[in-house]
Amino acid sequence: MNDIAQSHAGERRELISFRIGDQEFCVDIMSVREIRGWTPATPLPQTPGYVKGVINLRGAVLPIVDLSARMGLGMSEPSARHVIIVTRIAEQQVGLLVDAVCDIITVDDETVQQTPDVACETVKTFVQGLLAMDGRMISLISLDHVLPERDLDGAGEHSASILAA
Amino acid sequence: MAMDPLAAIKVTFFQECEEQLSELESGLLAMEAGDTDSEIVNAVFRAVHSIKGGAGAFSLENLVRFSHVFETALDLIRGGDIPADQDTLKLLLRSADVLADHVRAARDGGSVDEGRSHAMAEELEALAAGNGPAVAVDEDTGEGFADFEFKPVLIQLDDVVAELPVLPTVDETQKVKTFNIRFYPQVGLYQKANESGLLLRELARLGDMTATLDPSGLPLFDLLNPEDAYIGWTIVLRSETADEAAVREVFEWVEGDCFLEVAEEAESTGLASDVSPEDASDDSSDAALHASGSTSDDFDVLALIRQAQGAEQAMAEPAPVKPAVATATPKVDAVATAAAPKVDAGKSREAALDAKAQASARDASPQTIRVDLERVDRLIDLVGELVINQAMLAQRVGEAGLQRASSVAVGLDDLEQLTREIQDSVMAIRAQPVKSVFQRMPRLVREIAMMTGKEVRLLMEGEGTEVDKTVIERLSDPLTHMIRNAIDHGLETPADRIAAGKAPEGVVKLAALHRSGRIVIEITDDGRGINRPKVRQIAIDKGLVAPDANLTDDEIDNLIFMPGFSTATSVSDISGRGVGMDVVRRSIASLGGRITISSRPGQGSTFTLSLPLTLAVLDGMVVTVAGQTLVAPLTAIIESLQPKVGEVRSLGPNAQVIAIRDTHVPLIDIGRTLGYRLTSPPPTEGVALLVEGEGGARAALMVDAIQGQRQVVIKSLEANYRPVPGIAAATILGDGRVALILDVDAVMVPRPHDFPVLSDGPDDLANSILPLAQAG
Repeated sequence: MNDIAQSHAGERRELISFRIGDQEFCVDIMSVREIRGWTPATPLPQTPGYVKGVINLRGAVLPIVDLSARMGLGMSEPSARHVIIVTRIAEQQVGLLVDAVCDIITVDDETVQQTPDVACETVKTFVQGLLAMDGRMISLISLDHVLPERDLDGAGEHSASILAA
Repeated sequence: MAMDPLAAIKVTFFQECEEQLSELESGLLAMEAGDTDSEIVNAVFRAVHSIKGGAGAFSLENLVRFSHVFETALDLIRGGDIPADQDTLKLLLRSADVLADHVRAARDGGSVDEGRSHAMAEELEALAAGNGPAVAVDEDTGEGFADFEFKPVLIQLDDVVAELPVLPTVDETQKVKTFNIRFYPQVGLYQKANESGLLLRELARLGDMTATLDPSGLPLFDLLNPEDAYIGWTIVLRSETADEAAVREVFEWVEGDCFLEVAEEAESTGLASDVSPEDASDDSSDAALHASGSTSDDFDVLALIRQAQGAEQAMAEPAPVKPAVATATPKVDAVATAAAPKVDAGKSREAALDAKAQASARDASPQTIRVDLERVDRLIDLVGELVINQAMLAQRVGEAGLQRASSVAVGLDDLEQLTREIQDSVMAIRAQPVKSVFQRMPRLVREIAMMTGKEVRLLMEGEGTEVDKTVIERLSDPLTHMIRNAIDHGLETPADRIAAGKAPEGVVKLAALHRSGRIVIEITDDGRGINRPKVRQIAIDKGLVAPDANLTDDEIDNLIFMPGFSTATSVSDISGRGVGMDVVRRSIASLGGRITISSRPGQGSTFTLSLPLTLAVLDGMVVTVAGQTLVAPLTAIIESLQPKVGEVRSLGPNAQVIAIRDTHVPLIDIGRTLGYRLTSPPPTEGVALLVEGEGGARAALMVDAIQGQRQVVIKSLEANYRPVPGIAAATILGDGRVALILDVDAVMVPRPHDFPVLSDGPDDLANSILPLAQAG
C-alpha cells in the first residue's frame, strides 16, 4: 500500500470507497481483486474475533476480516446486504467484510490530507490520510495490519512445525 | 522466461546428466548381474560420452577430465580389451558414484572429494593401461589419455555454426590426402536435432569437398515415412591438414546414429574429385541398371521427391553438392524386380518395420516431455475446482427435487464419472516411478557396505511403481535411514553369517507395490532379526517401559520406534547418530503413512511402509462438532465408538478418561478444545474417535456425529492466512463451504502455548487446556 502510494506520487490514483456504519473509508483500487456478496464463513478456532473465518474463493481458502471489528467499530452482523472486498495484501488474499461499497473515486496525491493527530492507536494504525469529497470525509486506510500480528500466534507456527516434521 | 538462454541450456544439460547417470548405473548393475548384451555396454559408454561432450561445451574441466578417463576405460571394455569381471564392475560402479559427484559439484558449485576422485581416476587409468592395447585407442580417438590432455570443445552458442578447432594435427607431411567418406544418417540423428547439412558444412572446412547425394535408400512414395532417414552421401574430401581422426571428429556427436565409413586413399591423385556417383555407390547404380525402364510409373514420382529433397539439401548445404538425381534409383527390391512388385513391397515394408523395431528397442526410453511443475499444479488445482463444482451442482440438482432418473441427473452422473477420470489422469501426471529414489540406494549400500566391512547385495523390485512427486521427494530420507539401519544393525558380518550357516553376502531387498490405493514399500534384510531381549532391556534401562511390563513380541519390536531409543552399542559412523527409528516413523506419519515391522530371529526383519499415493488428497472422516463440519484424517483413526454410561470417568478437576477394553485413554472434546463451545455435552450423546498420534499415544476425540468417509482435496490455510493451532489444513466440501482438517496430534496433546488465550476467546479455555495437558 505504501509502496503504491510512493510510486504513484503526484499521479492520479483510483480508490474504492466503502461504508462501515456511518463512516466512509477507501482503499487503493490496485489492491482490490474483486467484490462479492457475503457467504457464510467457516469459523477458525483460536483466532481473534474480527477474523470471521474462511470462505471458498474458487478453490482458494480466503480469510474474512470484519473490518468494522478490526477497527474497533463493533462486530458486524453479516447479512446478505454485506459485501466482501477481496484484496491482495503482500502475497496473500484477504476478504474484507464491509457494509457496502459506495464509489470509485479518482484523486491526486496532493488532495490526500494528513491524518489529524488523534489519540487513538487504531486510527494511527489504519488511517493513512483523509479525503474531503462533496462535504463527506473519507478515510484512506492502509491494509498492512489487517491480519492478526504474526507474534500474536507464534505458537501457531510452532504447531505447524510439528506438522512439517 | 527471463532466464539467460545459456543458463537454460545448462539446466537442461544437468537434467540430462541425471538421466545419463541413472542409465549408467542401471547399465553397470545389469552388467554386474551378468548381462553381457553389447547394447548395455554401449549404453553405458554413451552415457559417459554424452556427459563428457556436454561438459566440454560448458568448459567444466574437472568433469571432462574425469569422464574422459572413465570413458577410455569403458571404451576398452566395449572393445573387449578388458574383461568385464566383477572386480572391474565394482570399480566402474564406484567410478560412476564419483562421476555423479562431479556432475553435482559442477551443477551446484560445490567441490568434489579431490583425493577420492584422483584415486579413482588413477585406478581407472591403471585398468586401462594394464589391460588394453592403449595405442590403438590413442590412434582411434586422436586423444591421448595417458597424458591427460583433453581439449574441451567450446561451442559458441550464439553461433550455430561451431568453429571446431582442428585437433592437434598428427600428420607429418603436407601431402594432400583424399578421404572417401560414406555418411548415411539414421533416423536417430535427426531425432536428436542434428542436421546433416551442418555436418557436411563442417567437413567442408577441412578441405576441398565433393559430396554426392545418394537417394537410393528412398522407398516408394506410399512407403515413405516422412520422419525416417533414407538418404546418405558419398563424400570425397581432399585435405592438406586433416587426418582421419579430424574427419571422424566432425561426426563425433552423431556417432552411433549414422553409418560412417572413412577411408583414406593411398595415393593422392587428382582422381578423387572426378569420382562419379556410379563409382562411389556401386550397389545403387547396379540397382539403377536393373530398374531403368521397368518401373517408369514409379520413377516419375521418385524423381519428383528427389528433386524436392535435392533442392532442400542444396539449400541446407553451402558445400558443393551434386544431387545425383538422374543416376541412382532406390535399391528397394520392389523397384528393381518388376516381376513381383507387390510381394516385395510387402517385404520391404516388413523390413522397414523391423528396422524400426530395432531402432525403438535401441532407445528404449519412453517418449517424455518436460513440463514446468507449476503448470501441472495449476491444472491439478483447476481439476480440484471442477470436482467441487460438480459436487455442488449435483447437490443443487438434488435439492431442486429432480428425479434421479431425469435426464439432468443422468447427465450429472456422467459428468461426475468424467470428472473423476480427469482428476485421476491429472494426478497421474504428477505421479513418478519410485525409481528416482530407489536409484540412489545402490550407491548408499556400496558405501555402507564398505564402511561396515559387510558384504551386501541390494535387490530392488517395483521401481516402476508410481507415486506423487511430493511423496517421492520426502521418501528419500526415511528410506536412506532404514537401509542404513538394515545393513548396520540388521545384517551380520560375513564371519558371523558363515557361522550362522548363511551365505557371507547379506541381502537387502527394497520393494515397492501398489496395494488398495496406497503405495507399500518394504525393506527386507536377511540378517539376524530384532534382538528382542536386548531391545526390551534397553527400553527398561532407558525407562521407556516398566521392568515388569508383559510385552508381546510385536510390542517389543515396536519399542525401537520410541523416541530416544537406539540399539547401537557404539555410536557408529552410519546409523546411531542420536536419531533413530522414531524420526523415521515421524516423517512417515507426516506423509500420512504408517510403518510396521515384522522380524524373525536369525532370519531377518521386514519394515513395511504404507503411504498415500498423493499428498494433495486425503482420506478423511467427516464429522460434526458444535455445528461445524470437520475432517479427521482416516490414517489416525483406529476406531469409532459410542461411549456408554460408566465408561467415562473423571480424572482431576476437568479431565475425563474413557475405558476402552482394559486401557484408559484421555477423552478430549474437540468442540471445547477448538473453542467452538464452552461446555461439553454428555459424552454418551456423541461419538468418540479413538485416534493414535505420531508418538503412538492414544486418545478418544469426542465429536457430535459422524457424517461419513470422504476423500478430500487438501487446501492450505497458510497460503492466505497463517497456521491455526489444532488445524492441519482446510478442504472444500460438496456444498462449496470450507471445512477444516483436524490436526490430531495437536489436539491430542495441547500444550498451553499452542492455544494462546485470546482476549476475546472463551474464558474457560485456559482451564480446559491445562488439565488435559497434564493428562496427556
